[in-house]
Amino acid sequence: MSLVPEGPTARGAVPHPDVHTYDEVNRDVLRALETPGKGWWALLAVAAAGVVLFFSAWGWQLYKGIGVSGLNSPVGWGVYITTFVFWVGIAHSGTLISAILFLFRSPWRQSIYRAAEAMTVFAVMTAGLFPLIHVGRLWHAYWLIPYPNSRFLWPNFKSPLVWDVFAITTYFTVSATFFYLGAIPDIAAARDRATGLRKKLYQVISLGWRGTDSQWHHFGKAYIFLAALATPLVLSVHSVVSWDFAMAIVPGWHATIFAPYFVAGAIFSGVAMVITLVVPIRKIFGLEAYLTTKHFDAMAKLCLLTSLIVLYAYLSEFFLAWYSGEEIERTAFWNRLFGDYWWATWTMLVCNGFVPIMLWFRRIRHSIPALFVISIFINIGMWFERYVIVVTSLHHEYEPFAWGIYRPSLTEMALMVGSFCWFGFWFLLFTRLLPPIAIAELKEVLPAPTRKKTGEAY
Amino acid sequence: MRKHWLIGGLASLLALAAGVAFIQEEPQETPVSEDIAEPEYPSGQPIAFPHDQHAGSQPGQNNMDCQYCHYSAERSVDAGIPPVSACWGCHQAIPGSNNPEEVAKIQQSIQTGVPIPWVRIYKVADHVHFPHMRHVNAGLECQQCHGEVQEMQVLNSRDPVWGGDNMGWCVECHRQPDDAGKPQASTDCTVCHY
Amino acid sequence: MAENKNMQDGIKRRDFLKVLGVSGAGATLTGCSTEEVERLLPYVIPPDDITPGVSTWYTTVCDGCSARCGMWVRTREGRAIKVEGNPNHPVSQGGLCAKGHATLQHLYHPDRFPGPMVREGSELRQVTWEEAESLLAARLSSAQNPMLISGQMGPSLNELVDEFVEGIGGIRVSYDAISDAPLAEAARIVYGTAGIPQYDIENARFLLSFGNDFIETGSSPVAHNKGLARMSSVDAAGSKGRFVYLGSRLSLTGLNADKWIPIRPGTEAAVALAMAAVIAGDDPEVAGPYSNVLQAFNPQVAAQAAGVTEDAIFELAEDFASQAPTLALGPGVGAHHSGATAANIAVMILNHVAGNVGRTVFYDAPMNGAMSAYADIEATVNAMASGESDVVMVHGANPVYSMPLQAGFAEAFAQVPFKVSFASALDETSEMADLILPDQHFLEAWGDSSPLAGVVAVQQPVMQPVPHFESKQTGDVLLSVANRLSGEGDAATFYDYVREHHRSAHDDADGDFEDAWQELLRTGMADTRREEAGALELQSPEVALSFEVPTFDLPGDLTLLVHPSPRFGAGEFSNSPWLQELPDPVSKIVWHSWLEMNPHTAELRGIREGDIVTVTSPHGSLEVPVWLYPGIREDVVALAMGGGHTGMGRYADDKGVNALNLIPSTSEQLSGALVTTVTAVTVIPTGEKRRLATVEGSSDQYDRMIAPAVALADLGHAGDDEHEEGGHEELRELQGVGGFIPVPADEGAPTAFPLEGSRHGLYAEAQEGPRWAMAIDLDKCTGCSACVTACQAENNVPWVGEEQVLMGREMSWVRIERYYEQVDATQAADLDVRFLPMICQHCGNAPCETVCPVFATYHTPEGLNAQVYNRCVGTRYCANNCPYKVRVFNWYDYTDAVPEPLNWQWNPDVTVRANGVMEKCSFCVQRIREVQNRAALEGGREVRDHEVVPACEQSCPAEAIVFGNIRDPNARITQVSASERTYRVLEPLNTQPAVNYLKKVTFHEVASVGHEE
Repeated sequence: MSLVPEGPTARGAVPHPDVHTYDEVNRDVLRALETPGKGWWALLAVAAAGVVLFFSAWGWQLYKGIGVSGLNSPVGWGVYITTFVFWVGIAHSGTLISAILFLFRSPWRQSIYRAAEAMTVFAVMTAGLFPLIHVGRLWHAYWLIPYPNSRFLWPNFKSPLVWDVFAITTYFTVSATFFYLGAIPDIAAARDRATGLRKKLYQVISLGWRGTDSQWHHFGKAYIFLAALATPLVLSVHSVVSWDFAMAIVPGWHATIFAPYFVAGAIFSGVAMVITLVVPIRKIFGLEAYLTTKHFDAMAKLCLLTSLIVLYAYLSEFFLAWYSGEEIERTAFWNRLFGDYWWATWTMLVCNGFVPIMLWFRRIRHSIPALFVISIFINIGMWFERYVIVVTSLHHEYEPFAWGIYRPSLTEMALMVGSFCWFGFWFLLFTRLLPPIAIAELKEVLPAPTRKKTGEAY
Repeated sequence: MRKHWLIGGLASLLALAAGVAFIQEEPQETPVSEDIAEPEYPSGQPIAFPHDQHAGSQPGQNNMDCQYCHYSAERSVDAGIPPVSACWGCHQAIPGSNNPEEVAKIQQSIQTGVPIPWVRIYKVADHVHFPHMRHVNAGLECQQCHGEVQEMQVLNSRDPVWGGDNMGWCVECHRQPDDAGKPQASTDCTVCHY
Repeated sequence: MAENKNMQDGIKRRDFLKVLGVSGAGATLTGCSTEEVERLLPYVIPPDDITPGVSTWYTTVCDGCSARCGMWVRTREGRAIKVEGNPNHPVSQGGLCAKGHATLQHLYHPDRFPGPMVREGSELRQVTWEEAESLLAARLSSAQNPMLISGQMGPSLNELVDEFVEGIGGIRVSYDAISDAPLAEAARIVYGTAGIPQYDIENARFLLSFGNDFIETGSSPVAHNKGLARMSSVDAAGSKGRFVYLGSRLSLTGLNADKWIPIRPGTEAAVALAMAAVIAGDDPEVAGPYSNVLQAFNPQVAAQAAGVTEDAIFELAEDFASQAPTLALGPGVGAHHSGATAANIAVMILNHVAGNVGRTVFYDAPMNGAMSAYADIEATVNAMASGESDVVMVHGANPVYSMPLQAGFAEAFAQVPFKVSFASALDETSEMADLILPDQHFLEAWGDSSPLAGVVAVQQPVMQPVPHFESKQTGDVLLSVANRLSGEGDAATFYDYVREHHRSAHDDADGDFEDAWQELLRTGMADTRREEAGALELQSPEVALSFEVPTFDLPGDLTLLVHPSPRFGAGEFSNSPWLQELPDPVSKIVWHSWLEMNPHTAELRGIREGDIVTVTSPHGSLEVPVWLYPGIREDVVALAMGGGHTGMGRYADDKGVNALNLIPSTSEQLSGALVTTVTAVTVIPTGEKRRLATVEGSSDQYDRMIAPAVALADLGHAGDDEHEEGGHEELRELQGVGGFIPVPADEGAPTAFPLEGSRHGLYAEAQEGPRWAMAIDLDKCTGCSACVTACQAENNVPWVGEEQVLMGREMSWVRIERYYEQVDATQAADLDVRFLPMICQHCGNAPCETVCPVFATYHTPEGLNAQVYNRCVGTRYCANNCPYKVRVFNWYDYTDAVPEPLNWQWNPDVTVRANGVMEKCSFCVQRIREVQNRAALEGGREVRDHEVVPACEQSCPAEAIVFGNIRDPNARITQVSASERTYRVLEPLNTQPAVNYLKKVTFHEVASVGHEE
């Protein structure tokens, strides 16, 4: 705030003090699309290797059987579902930042929402794979989709897993569309600078954007409509995912708090992931002028808020377990804190509950490196949150004689790590193929340019 | 024009999905292998056994009851493959008007004690339990599942009338209403799958 | 196959079977697409007693142990696929033990010999029977005093072997690794009778076991298990009998006692005599010639020796005298120390003084279990070592493994120029043999048995010999070899021999022999027992008796108990994967050995569970992981037999350790039996540890009312539930608290079926038709685990191996949970151990059903919780959501690991599950369908009560399980479920299970449940 000079602003947005003309914007942002540096190639190579690892691990599992995981009875779900929920969570803040903040006319979204949306799309693409990885008979997984068949058989609409199918696919469709639509004007911008094959590509996917008034008019309508459509999904998807657990009778799962608790956690992890991703982009592509501490400050605050909600959820879970007087429920949560998986639980509490407390301090909120480190902590913590929920609840259930221990196998680890590479792979391609920052919207918040004779401004 | 690309893409995706589903639905065929002794017949059977000649009702055909040979159909889950002695029971008297060399094989089997390696034509999936006797005693005609066998010289599982390995075929019949308007046979999964 | 005529079409039958091996039993989920064309081979001449697709049953006799239970064998298209107890048979009475079920795996075991083998150098070469027999004949004709070492066998074969050995002028040595010789010898000394006394456990009201593990080992485990269950059941005629166990370690038998008096090893005699003295009081003359012995003993002395309080012994004596009829059992095969015979004599005196002879214990109607002395085999070893004999034949025994290493049998045996083995499958002894004449499995061969005086049973072949193995039953081999030696052309087969044996015994006054014979084959046995006579007189011993406490080889500080395994006996069953993976009834450990040690002892030595320790005796040492067990005295450690095989086959070798390597080769003075409890050991941690392959998650039920109990005193006071664990009041309260659907008071009542609660459920109950349900009486269940193996055999449940079990992936559909409530090794105290067979509860309101996305699991109109394998996608959500944790998942294609011809045992009526699908108990739905089909064929009649019998109920020796249609008010299931002891596991969850458990009844007050904070 202080470092932002007050002035005439569109939609009360923050003007970027170091950016003056539309031309600069195009130049700076689209520079990202030009010949990549070594760093990018190196990262891409790592990611590609990881993708290979990912699919070979999956292939190995299909060949040998799901037994190559460490799963057992009683722990029938493990790293796969943990990672699934983790990525669904990540997928959240994208749409949140773009759609909800858009509807609320939030002043700081333009610079980050493109990256955030991309993250959303790729995160859902990653998450969507894990239910498939996890089932015992992948080749029959299509039975979860309702389709008319000669057997007169339908899926069980009472099962939260079927709800998942709908929730995930819907969310993916909408956020992908939203992402694409928002990008069209910028693709057009890129098109006009690009040459050769790229130009062809951009020509196709920019759907003939010319930036005429009528196009802008329809664009605005469609965009706000999609934003309105996407907003409830942000809440619904993770609520549905949380019901995979809340609808079960497993002590530690069966709780009414789960939906809001999961949504908060999702936004928490999502925003953290945005920070994790945007910091390097900012550095590599020299977009400091566009991603100011102001933006990071705002995201940090969002993290802080959601981390408090999540911490509250943790505490209320423990409290209610004690307060319920339900012996089995109590044992379950006691076991969480001090049982075989105490380390996971405490990792979760420290990373999600205590580390973010530092965000109370302005100096930390304004220190990009600090934020980067904290965001990594949060990512780790949120993965462990899901691990704690899935594994510690299952391994000590109702029947003491059937208690057991679960040890993740190498294959599971490979698939978990590989999923990050798979995600990174797409994200890296994105940074090369699409403007990582919304050019058009940035321009909206710049002072209107004086018309030049070339009249190239859109 | 560019929109067509989109539409085309979506359409092909759908087609792919449908294709997968279809492949899964498609009844399995019984492939015919190479390793069969004796001359190959269209059916791959070791003996050119004409069902029509035995069970057919046309003039010159013998109009035999299916269960004369498939002897356990009404009291067992298995219909029963006729023992060679059953064939021999008639054929030691009947040399076989059309092709006696086939009948000779029966005699050979009886003498050597080596059974005739019939090729299996009709087969339901192994996770399906089909009790023949329940269906026979419910008054079903064999033809309702096996087709007009008495008119076929060579049986063929690819014959469209053989719906036995397609669950829709079973369910369709089971859920037909009886006089009381209720399904005439249970469609509970564990009636067949256990 | 009751007649010989089917034997000649063997060839075709075998071919036919080969096909069924592929098409019938090979049924798998993946089987939809068959690569190569499938062949159907018809019978050339159909056997008249076989209809394809219909089971044929034969009676025969189990050859698993000396008990010789009667069997019913179910065959399909000529393959034996399931064995069950013969209800007509006085020994099994319909029950069968886990070992009995596992004999089926020996029949199809891939480690059986493919045919007669001759050793050439280190290699074995298969030869024809012609060559093999002529070779044996040749060697015998020139043999210097040939020997034949034989194990347990039926009367006919026994007779034949005697004739044969006599014919060749040889020596016969009978040998049984674990035998009741001391008991038999004691009976001979005290009463001059032969054989093992018979017990009437069922009618005893007060049962005392001096370290006698009668439901696991000994003369007749199944019968005794049944007796114990009936005797100790609260439904027993009269009153619930009380069972006290005196011993230094709680075996499975001990775990079923109401009270445990942890006496020092070897002090049974002292305690028994002290009790006798107390009972006799001032009139020691009742002990006849032993009255002077009584005077020598009194509670002080005994208490001193045994390490228990004097009062405990007085109290015991008074109960024993007052609560007639009573029964005391002397130390059995699990506790053979150098004073075993004396101890058994002491117990006989006690029984005599208490007037039990002729009431609960019978000496004049012996069981034919006892085997000859270990001393004889020791002599044989010396003979072999000194090269006295140049041909030694071994039948039905594996001395190389089952004799202590110290005995040096292997070395001596190696001296013998020509070693012959009749073993049908590989074992340590046959491994050394020069000539192997593989015997047939008892399900392929003729034979007979006489388990009790007056009971005769015929063992008939139930199928053609398994075609993979050119086996020939020893009876036939001996006959033909005898012919070769004598040069006579007598063509008699052993079948004729057995028939002849019975014809000669047949009294024509009872009608035609042929009819009698057919009847014998049909019913499986002939019972001509006469009324037992009354009491016998004590005879003065002709040998000097010492009742002193034996001393144990030092310098160890912990006495080592070497006992037969409830699963493997002395190791003869170790090569059965079913038994290897059957959790040990006591430790719940599979596949490997463990050393039982008291937690306090371990704590003092800084030993933790799973630590690998070196156990050292003066005679040997071995390394084995420790399992902490509160049911063993602090000065004792225990090892089970059956582990550490080296040449028995793929499932036995290198699994665990052989406890016999730690003990010396000493025989007990009077009976000459092998002394197993003989040495002390030192236990030193190696520093290494391993995870025990156990199926036990926790032995504490945390007051969760999983297996509650009710005090005898509180029975009949329905309503006041203070002392009754998990009374209905409490449950309803919990249902309120836990936020479950509140259920009206009357609804929990098991009589109110179909349950109101099932309407809260998702599936409308069919208003007509059956509602299948089960009741399991925990007051009867002894945890013997026979049901586990029976289920595995019936339902094609695969075994997964040690590594998978370590990962927590055991597949068994039945889990016998074992919870300790009260086990105190420091003093005589009430014992409270709960066994609970946990199976799918077939909930009316099942959590698994709602979460399955594809209806692979759902509720059938008949109340079954169905699992449709071919619909299962494998999300495992159902397993997560099952509070009973009874769902098991196929993590791999476990059935791929089943080698030919073991897969011939598969039940063709049950789908073999493939990789990636969930499975669980189905209430044996295939049996329900079979009966319903039969009923439909018989004019659509109703299914009768108890016509559908699941495998577990059928095999349960304790009769603890009842299955039926609970909607029928007159059905047994409905009657049993109406008991006030009925409860359901985790009832507060309102899952409305179809399995009703009946609470265990204890004599002591049970601790109330529910933590009060």
